[in-house]
Amino acid sequence: MYQAVRDAMSIALAKDDSAVVFGEDVAFGGVFRCTMFGRERVFNTPLTEQGIVGFGVGLALMGHTAIAEIQFADYIFPAFDQLVNEAAKIRYRSGGTYNVGGLTIRTPTMSVGHGGLYHSQSPEGFFMGASGLKVVIPRSPIQAKGLLLGSIRDPNPVIFMEPKILYRSAGLFAVEQVPVDDYELPLGQAEILVPGADLTLLTWGTPVYHSKVELIDLRSILPWDVETVAESVNRTGRLVIVHEAGMTAGVGAEISAEIQKRCFLKLNAPIKRVTGWE
Amino acid sequence: MASWEGEVISTLGKSCDRTSWSTSSGRDTENGCASSWDGPASSSWSTVTAFDFLLVFIMGSSSRQGIRAGRGEQRAQRNSMKAWLNGLAEFFNSVTGGSSLIPTYRVLDGGGNVIPGAELPQIDKAFAHRLYENMQLLPTLDTVLYNVQRQGKISFYYGEEATIIGSAAALEMDDEILGQYREMGVLLWRGFAIDDVMAQCFGNEEDGSGKGRQMPVHFGSPKHHFHTISSPLATQIPQAAGVGYALKRTPDRRSRSIAACYFGEGAASEGDFHAGLMLASTIPSPTLFIARNNGFAISTPSTEQYNGDGIASRGPGYGIDTVRVDGNDVLAVLAAIREARKRCLEQGRAVLVEAMSYRVSHHSTSDDSFAYRPRTEVEDRKKVDNPIMRFRLFMESQGWWNADAETELKARLKEDVMKAFKRAETLKRAELSELFTDVYGGEQPWHLKEQRAELAGLLRKYGSTYEPWRKELAKFKNNGRDLLD
Ligand SMILES: Cc1ncc(C[n+]2csc(CCOP(=O)(O)OP(=O)(O)O)c2C)c(N)n1
Ligand SMILES: [Mg+2]
Repeated sequence: MYQAVRDAMSIALAKDDSAVVFGEDVAFGGVFRCTMFGRERVFNTPLTEQGIVGFGVGLALMGHTAIAEIQFADYIFPAFDQLVNEAAKIRYRSGGTYNVGGLTIRTPTMSVGHGGLYHSQSPEGFFMGASGLKVVIPRSPIQAKGLLLGSIRDPNPVIFMEPKILYRSAGLFAVEQVPVDDYELPLGQAEILVPGADLTLLTWGTPVYHSKVELIDLRSILPWDVETVAESVNRTGRLVIVHEAGMTAGVGAEISAEIQKRCFLKLNAPIKRVTGWE
Repeated sequence: MASWEGEVISTLGKSCDRTSWSTSSGRDTENGCASSWDGPASSSWSTVTAFDFLLVFIMGSSSRQGIRAGRGEQRAQRNSMKAWLNGLAEFFNSVTGGSSLIPTYRVLDGGGNVIPGAELPQIDKAFAHRLYENMQLLPTLDTVLYNVQRQGKISFYYGEEATIIGSAAALEMDDEILGQYREMGVLLWRGFAIDDVMAQCFGNEEDGSGKGRQMPVHFGSPKHHFHTISSPLATQIPQAAGVGYALKRTPDRRSRSIAACYFGEGAASEGDFHAGLMLASTIPSPTLFIARNNGFAISTPSTEQYNGDGIASRGPGYGIDTVRVDGNDVLAVLAAIREARKRCLEQGRAVLVEAMSYRVSHHSTSDDSFAYRPRTEVEDRKKVDNPIMRFRLFMESQGWWNADAETELKARLKEDVMKAFKRAETLKRAELSELFTDVYGGEQPWHLKEQRAELAGLLRKYGSTYEPWRKELAKFKNNGRDLLD
């Protein structure tokens, strides 16, 4: 998935002269060969998450494409204000005269098993109340490439969270041949990975690989694909939501509330959430 | 490493007498030696000398000369333990030069006389009139808005007319402005109409700044290159670094346009301030930071905001050209911002200007500042150091202004403002359906469509029968009917 992400950014940089990639340590370690795009387009920033997102907002305000990286999703909180009060609301507060659609924030998320407290979190739920933002989590290399290009070109600011255990584990889960060409996947649409009859299992990111029933990868957290989920639950009559983040006020709470409203008469059992411990 | 550092050296070579800091740290990096040690020791000094040619010193800074060591000497000292130990006391505070303060650039004294030796910025009578009119328009608007406003907040401009109008006049019309909330004068200078001001403050259907969604004075206008004001403080500062970088990457605006970012001395305490200056200095961009130091952040005096020498002292720490200017002297602000803008473009780098003034007004309409500062202090300030009066006296000394002109102007401005005010009062709010627009670009997501449909359903059911709702709906353009389609 690591290469797929890199590939998507290369395509974005090559096709769009205004695109720049920046963040802490992004110029290091050959993520891009600097000669390819130059230090003016792929560069390190000082260690300031609020600054990185604010700077990206500025670029995007001018109609440029800003692809910013927050080194770990755990460190996105210093940028919370720039994301929730600025990026998400600029279009609304300016009556549609300004927007930061060109902004995409990439950030590695979820656990790998040895990350400890501050390299394991799943903060997607914190952004669920920030209408104006989109939140996307890919499950595999193909998905990462298509959804990242979709995010970069979406007319809205997008937080793109990459489950970091999947970066170098193509062999562990599914080996995928990622198309070399430019291509996009739509945001806001879930995907039924395994059709089934008795139970709908809804999840995203790493947990996608641990299940057997009608399995749906939600892919976009905000806006989330209520139609696909409701259609599935109406058929199966049971819903289990799995996410790595904790249960209280997690994304599963929001989805449960909406699905019990829409599928009340078809549900054969209460919606169950399987989540991380808090 | 070298791509933009090389660029910097070549452009700096062209500029006046700036010799150290960025240039030297660039070279050091190329040579592979650490630059952190000898950079700061000379940076504050070089920043000051850089502006020497236009500075009129209020407070002397010559005491620094003795402390300043040349670059060669510093190297030698670094290698000599003895020098280190012997001179240790001298090394403490060598950057700030002990107790001396950063000087403040002025052109006019309190009586509107040109200070001996000061260079007058180039202005003619017509330009002076324009400056003065715009300066007078600010308090005229304040007074009317203050008297009419019933709820919510409106901030005031009293005391900062020279800072705002002087800087606006020094910028190009399409330089990108990122303001805090006291910069309405920049918009007025650029031709934003009084009707537009009223529309935003009333939040009526003509509010092109934000469709009535924001508090008063949160203006915005892409046409005037004025980014929409945000209430959360300081967020515009790192954004300005990004805007500046985008300008640098836009072929037809590179070397022509800058990003100009205003903020108060209080906002400068936020992390975003440091993030913004750091980004604009390490990822060079033509970004002009204008700190409006008006002595207060609501009730908190600036003495509780910092223990150093204001905001200007932070510029050298970031390797940014810095100048402090008398913010009540419109000609000094004009000259300093013109020069700062020139440097931004020539060097492709950030510049920091700290404009010193005093917030004569209350913070906003919901503030009574006499609860935390004596009324006499404010009255004294109004008389002794009034930026409008100071410039008026200057214009009179040039034979450009007299009492008749003053009477005519005040009457005309008041009439214009009252006319716009009366008109704005009669207008309705934006359409109710605008409540759901502009959250997302492109297709509206389902959850918003559903929420819109739910409100429409409620309106159909109760909108015309439930009296409080009927009354409320009448305040909107189309009485909310647009939601029902
Ligand atoms: C992040 C944030 N914290 C607090 C506030 C509340 N607040 C509004 S204005 C203000 C004072 C700002 O002072 P200063 O930056 O000096 O600007 P001035 O009003 O003097 O122009 C405060 C604390 C805010 N708007 N945003
Ligand atoms: Mg202040």
